[in-house]
Amino acid sequence: MTGALFAQSLVLGILLGGLYALLAAGLTLYFGVMRVVMIAHSAFLILAAYLAWYFHERTGIDPLLSLVVTVPLFFVVGYGMQRFLVSRLRPISLTTMSVLLTFAVALTIEGLLGFVWTGTQRRVQLGYSGMSIEVAGVSIAVVKLIAFGLAAVSLGALYLILRRTSFGRALRATTQHPEAARLVGIDTDRVAGLGFGLGLATAAVGGTALALDYTIYPSLHWHWIGPLMAIIVVGGLGSIPGAAIAALLLGVAASLLQVPLGTTWAQTVFYLALFVTLMIRPQGFFGGRLAQRF
Amino acid sequence: MPNASSATRPSGPSPARVLRIGGLLALAAVVLLFPSLAPDPFILSVGVVILSYAVLATSWNLVGGFTGYISLGHAAYSGLGGYATALLILRSGLNPWLALLVGALIVALIAIPVGIASLRVRGASFVIVSIALVLILQLTFQSWHTFTGGSGGLRVPRPFGPDVLRPEQHERFFYLHAVLLTLALLTWWLIERSRLGAGLKAIREDEDKAQALGVPTFAYKLTALVTSAFFTALGGGLYALWFGYLDPIFQFSILVGTYMVLMSLLGGVRSLFGPLLGAVVVGYAVEVFKSQYGDTQFHLVATGILLGLVVLFMPDGVIPAVTSFLNRRRRAASIREVSAEELARQRADKQREEATR
Repeated sequence: MTGALFAQSLVLGILLGGLYALLAAGLTLYFGVMRVVMIAHSAFLILAAYLAWYFHERTGIDPLLSLVVTVPLFFVVGYGMQRFLVSRLRPISLTTMSVLLTFAVALTIEGLLGFVWTGTQRRVQLGYSGMSIEVAGVSIAVVKLIAFGLAAVSLGALYLILRRTSFGRALRATTQHPEAARLVGIDTDRVAGLGFGLGLATAAVGGTALALDYTIYPSLHWHWIGPLMAIIVVGGLGSIPGAAIAALLLGVAASLLQVPLGTTWAQTVFYLALFVTLMIRPQGFFGGRLAQRF
Repeated sequence: MPNASSATRPSGPSPARVLRIGGLLALAAVVLLFPSLAPDPFILSVGVVILSYAVLATSWNLVGGFTGYISLGHAAYSGLGGYATALLILRSGLNPWLALLVGALIVALIAIPVGIASLRVRGASFVIVSIALVLILQLTFQSWHTFTGGSGGLRVPRPFGPDVLRPEQHERFFYLHAVLLTLALLTWWLIERSRLGAGLKAIREDEDKAQALGVPTFAYKLTALVTSAFFTALGGGLYALWFGYLDPIFQFSILVGTYMVLMSLLGGVRSLFGPLLGAVVVGYAVEVFKSQYGDTQFHLVATGILLGLVVLFMPDGVIPAVTSFLNRRRRAASIREVSAEELARQRADKQREEATR
C-alpha cells in the first residue's frame, strides 16, 4: 500500500467512523436508559434516508433540509415507541423481549419501505454529488465531509445535552441506577421516553447523511445493524465514549482493510472484533459495571 | 402441565393421562397417514416444508425455551448444516446420510466457540452474536465462490436414484423429517426430566439465584446451545437433501431465524409441542401467503406485525394460555410449574391484600 493510498483510506475511515459513532451513540442511549437492544435503529436510519430522498425527489430542495422535519418527527416517534410499546413489556424479561419487539418493528419498516417505494435502488443526485476537495494529496468527496460534519455536530450537541443540562443529568442518573434516580425525584419513565426520542433523532440525522452519499434500498439496514451492534459491544454496552472510540477505530480498520481485501471481507472486521472482545473481555473495553451484567 | 400430580386420585390412569396418550396417538396417526391423504404432490411438499419448520423450531426451543436466551440467528446453524452436508457429498464423496450426520457434528463443534463467546454474559450479547453470525455467514458464503459456489448457489446431489420420482421423493422425505422431529421432541422431553433441564429452567427464571445455588450455569447453557445447534443442523441438512439447491441469501436469512422464534413463541416455549403447533400455524400461513401473493415485501410486514403482537400480548404462547384457562376452571393441579415472574406477582398481590386489610 502506498503512502497516498494509506492516507486516503485513513481519512475515509475517519469520516465513516464519525457516522458510525453518532449511530452507535443512539444505540447506547436506548441501552442505557432502558436496557433495550434496539434492532430497529438502523431500519429507522434507512427510513430517514428514504424520507430525505423522497423529499428531494418531490421538491428538488436539498435533502439536508428534510432534517427540519425528520429530526422532530423521529424524536416524537421514539418517545411514543418507548411509552406505548417498550414500557408494556414485563420488566423481568425486558432485554430479550425488547430485542424481539424492535426486531419486529425493523421487519415491518423494511417491508413497508419495499411496499411503498419498491426494492429499486435509489440515489440522490445533487449538484455537488461528484465534487471533492483535495487536501495534501488526499481527495475527499464533499458529501462525505458534510455527512461527517453533521455527525460531529450532533454528537457534540448530544454531549452538551448529557453533560450540561439538568435533563442530561437526570438521564445519566437513570442510566446508572434507576431505583436511586426515582428516589431522588426523577421521573424515570419520562426520562426513558425522552432518551429514546433522543436516540431515534440520531437515526434521523444519520439517515439524512446516508442519503447524500449512498445508494439505498430497503434491506440495507442489515448491513448497518451488524457493525453497529459490534461497536457497542466492543465499546462496552452503555458507554457513549466507548461507542464513539470503538466506532472510529473499527471504521478506520475496515477502511484500511478494504484496500487489500475488498469491501465484503473488510466488513468482517466488525464481527471479528465482536467475537474477540467477547472472548477476552465480555464487558467491552470501556463499559462499566452496567455492561458486566448483560 | 405434564407434572400435574395425580397422587390424590385412586389408582389407575387419570383422565388427563388418557387424554394425553390419546392425543399423542392421534398426532402420530395424522403424521403417518398424511402422505396417503394428501390429494396432490404440491400439498405433500407443503407438508414436508411444515415438518421441516417444526424440526427447526423444536431444535431452537432446546436453547430458547429452556434457558430463555433468544437466538435470532439460528438460520446460521441450519444453513451451515445444509452447506456442510452438500460440501461433504460433493468434495469428499461421502454417503449422503453419513454426510448429514458428520455435517451436523461439525456444526455442533462450530457452535462451541460461538457459545463460549456469547454465553459468558447475559442475554443481550447472545442475541447480538446470533444476528451477527447470520450476517457474517451470508457475507462470506456469497463471496467465497471457489468453495461454496458463491451467490450463484450450490446444487445438492439427490440421495435417491433417478428412478425415484418426485411424489415418491416427497413421501420419503416427509417420513424422514417426521423421524427427525420425533428425535428432537424426545431429546427435549428427556432433558426436561433431567437434572440438566431443572438447571436450565432455573437459569431461565433467575440466573443469579441459579448460580448461587450451585448450578454450573455456563456449562449448562453451552450444552443446551450445542445440542440445539446439532439438531438445527440436521434439520437444515435434511431439507437441503430434499430441496436439492442452496442459495446463501435464503440459507442464511434473518427471516428463517425469525420464523423459528415466532413459531416457538406462538406455540409456547415452555411446552414440548408448542413449537410444533406454532410451525403448523405459521408454516401453513407462510406457504399460503407465498402461493397467493408471491414473494412480495408484504410477508415481511405480516411477519413483523405478528411477531410484535405475540411479544406484546401473548409472550407465553397459545398452549400455556389455554392450559392456564383450563386449570383455572378445574383448580386441580397440586404441584404446578410456576415461573419466577408469576411468583413475584402472587407475592405482590398477597402483600397488597394484607396492606389493605
